[in-house]
Amino acid sequence: MFTFCVNSVNSGDSASTDRSHRWIESTEYAQRSTQTQRCTSWTRRGLRFPTQTQPCCSMFPMLTLLSMFYYICLRRRSRSGTRSESLGSRRAVELGQRSALPVTVEVEQYGKEVLDFSSHYGSENSMSYTMWNLAGVPNVYPSSGDFTQTAVFRTYGNWWEKCTSSGPSFRRTPPNFHSQDYLELAFEEPVYPTAVEVLETYHPGAIIRILACSLNPFSQNPPADVRWEVLWTGKPCKSLSPQARQFSPGIRQISFPTNLLRLEINSSLLEYYTELDAVILRGVRERPILALYKIPVIDINELSDSEEEISDAGGLCCRSTVEHRHVLGNGFFDRLPYELIQLILSHLPIPDMCRLAQTCKLFHKHCSDPLQYIQLSLQPYWARLTDTSLCHLQSRCALLQRLNMSWTGNRGALTPAGFCSFMSACGVSLVCLELSCCHFLTEACLEVIAQTCSCLQELNLASCDRLQPQAFNHIAKITSLRRLVLYRTKVEQSAVLSILTFCPELQHLNLGSCVMIEDYDVVVGMLSARCRSLRSLDLWRCRNLSERGLVELVSGCRLLEELDLGWCSTLQSSSGCFQQLARSLPRLRKLFLTANRTVCDSDLEELAAHCNALQHLDILGTRMVGPASLRKLLQSCPQLKLLDVSFCSQIDSRFVQELTSLFPNVSIKKSFTQ
Amino acid sequence: MLSVLSYGRIVARAVLGGLSQTDGRDYSLITASCGFGKDFRKGILKKGMCYGDDACFIARHKSADVLGVADGVGGWRDYGVDPSQFSVTLMRTCERLVKEGRFTPSSPVGILTSSYYELLQNKVPLLGSSTACIVVLDGRSHRIHTCNLGDSGFLVVRGGEVVHRSDEQQHYFNTPFQLSIAPPGAEGAVLSDSPEVADSSSFDVQLGDIILTATDGLFDNMPDYMILQELKKLKNTSYDSIQQTARSIAEQAHELAYDPNYMSPFAQFACDNGLNVRGGKPDDITVLLSIVAEYTD
Repeated sequence: MFTFCVNSVNSGDSASTDRSHRWIESTEYAQRSTQTQRCTSWTRRGLRFPTQTQPCCSMFPMLTLLSMFYYICLRRRSRSGTRSESLGSRRAVELGQRSALPVTVEVEQYGKEVLDFSSHYGSENSMSYTMWNLAGVPNVYPSSGDFTQTAVFRTYGNWWEKCTSSGPSFRRTPPNFHSQDYLELAFEEPVYPTAVEVLETYHPGAIIRILACSLNPFSQNPPADVRWEVLWTGKPCKSLSPQARQFSPGIRQISFPTNLLRLEINSSLLEYYTELDAVILRGVRERPILALYKIPVIDINELSDSEEEISDAGGLCCRSTVEHRHVLGNGFFDRLPYELIQLILSHLPIPDMCRLAQTCKLFHKHCSDPLQYIQLSLQPYWARLTDTSLCHLQSRCALLQRLNMSWTGNRGALTPAGFCSFMSACGVSLVCLELSCCHFLTEACLEVIAQTCSCLQELNLASCDRLQPQAFNHIAKITSLRRLVLYRTKVEQSAVLSILTFCPELQHLNLGSCVMIEDYDVVVGMLSARCRSLRSLDLWRCRNLSERGLVELVSGCRLLEELDLGWCSTLQSSSGCFQQLARSLPRLRKLFLTANRTVCDSDLEELAAHCNALQHLDILGTRMVGPASLRKLLQSCPQLKLLDVSFCSQIDSRFVQELTSLFPNVSIKKSFTQ
Repeated sequence: MLSVLSYGRIVARAVLGGLSQTDGRDYSLITASCGFGKDFRKGILKKGMCYGDDACFIARHKSADVLGVADGVGGWRDYGVDPSQFSVTLMRTCERLVKEGRFTPSSPVGILTSSYYELLQNKVPLLGSSTACIVVLDGRSHRIHTCNLGDSGFLVVRGGEVVHRSDEQQHYFNTPFQLSIAPPGAEGAVLSDSPEVADSSSFDVQLGDIILTATDGLFDNMPDYMILQELKKLKNTSYDSIQQTARSIAEQAHELAYDPNYMSPFAQFACDNGLNVRGGKPDDITVLLSIVAEYTD
């Protein structure tokens, strides 16, 4: 047996794995048998051995060592030669281990309820084109087109930004924040998400961010700490075609189960309204062990790092290394004039300023200078803003003039008390205050705003639909108001009338979808009496404005440049109100008569004759307008940029193509349902 | 003494047993639909549940079953408007309202009003008019709530006899009450009734009650006794037999409509009003046949 072993060792250089295995087996057998049986067995097999035990004993340990040595060498060679095989065996081992655990089942859910959104096209007590259509199974997909059963936002493109009624944009917006609208959708069961699919049925491409919340909106005892994590983020893209598509971006793995998703929208590059049909959330109930989907490469700048908090900005980091640096030389940055450093820092977004303030005393002094905080936009940081953040910012915002806190403070992040104390401290010189979709606001907050901000000129309370009607009475105290947005609020007629009485300098007023106002004729009458410098008026979906009211409005507010009367179905063109409008408002730049089925040829002819500065016109859904008057309008209004003739039955797509070729500067919209 | 107590106990048990609800189980409707369009070319189902200018829907939400029929007024064809567009959109919108739960089972007029309002919220400028009849079964309370605007209607048959029926609403001969959307300027010339003028009724039902909801194409061609005869052939509460019976009713009405010598209820009514006519009335026929049964999942 031993000579056999020695021979095979000598010929071992040509060892294949099979032979080595056999050799190993035989060695092991030999080792075992040497331990159990001694020379007597060998002599029985007819091998020659010295009968003395001593030389045998000396050979055994040596042989054991040799065998171990060769065992290790050959195993290493086999490992290097057949790596994939060994890997396969390892995977097989792991799979074997995994099969012992319960199999993770992927759960697929449609939206259960739309909890919050910034705007929508439809009416408040309707199901057509409203955001609530996003919940549940898809109604339209895979068809494409402009259907009533989809969720549509109020605006598209950049047409609304171009109007003077939207205020100037805020500086220091971080370059990766493009969101214009948002919606929050709750699902039934919290899962660890593996995929999110959005069924878009018309002009897709508006979704730019998907976030997940750690809070379960249906739970009885909500936790104090609410976290939002970004699942996916992208740039606004130009839509290639209006056809339906299923949008399924690769999403990040997050550490908590979620049943509340937030989608943020930017439709500035889209040709028409984007429409969403349904959202599907795929996830697993247990935390996934291995990655079940590929993790895309995320730019480190786009990740929301929850560690860096604005609230940390309050801490003063006194580094003793500052003196040390003086000795070494710090690049002479502090030799620059104060104003120059201020200018350099004015290009930094707010979180970077807060981080910079923690580095050294010089930067802390610069970053705390109130002159850096004349304009402050906290909207991009809505997920992280809390009462403590406001508290720490208070010391620097004494000279605050323009403040944007839209979208902030929801789900308990801000309290009315915290906001009121911030306002009392910093609101004295406020000129512009944007508070759209701020659901934490109460009547007390508005009272504090009215008391403190005596020179406030712009106030935006769009979609603050949880604000009680009596809160709006306080706005009348802000007599210097020039721009007021009350879109989708519960403001009542009496509050509006008192605002109009006491704020005669109003130039831009938005009362779109204010369902609690009973009689718009009275409101408009007061406007024409008191607010003669009105430049823009948005009366989208005001149900009961009559011809008498419209005529009164245009006779009083002669400086009107923008008038949105979309979906005001009570206006009848046969009374001549639109012709009167055209004659009275020569400066008219934007006129929306969406879904007023009575707009006719004579109205367009009057517009062509008198309103030559017209830039945006929407006459969707009328059967009474023919090609001839449309052509005349386009010829007479050289500055026209937007014309919406969707669902006008006399205007067919062939004629639209003809007009587009004749008037290339005009963007003519013709929607379809297919 | 002991016997008094035991007697008292028996009495109490009997009284309490009588006071408690007999049946805790929900009811539901098993419904089948059938119909024929007047125009043979349009006999093909356009979008499903649409027969000529008639349209219907069947929907369910939680414990409520809802049915509806709508008869599009054919006169719009002369003005270039497709009469089926209005009735089909009205019924589809009612179906969507029901499926999303935006209704109260005890108020079918609410469904009609909301649906009519939703039609006005459509970007597409709809035109047309139609009658409407909506039947809601509240499975929990075992009550049927109905509303009817126009000359469509329903029959409730129990034990071979008609126990409830709807009334026709007509302005004058062959001009029923109708919901309509008129072109601007023609509002004065077009008949337009508000959903509030619809007839509402509510009544209890029992297991095995048969409810027949149909447009005037059925009732104008088949008198009650013929309908009852067909309904006697209903063997059991399975969907197939209901479908078969509905089909036979609709087919018979369709045959009678084109019989020139048959004295149809329509011809009878015309004669009563001084018009000497005879024969059936060719019209779109829509039949929804339902049976009240226990709810099984």
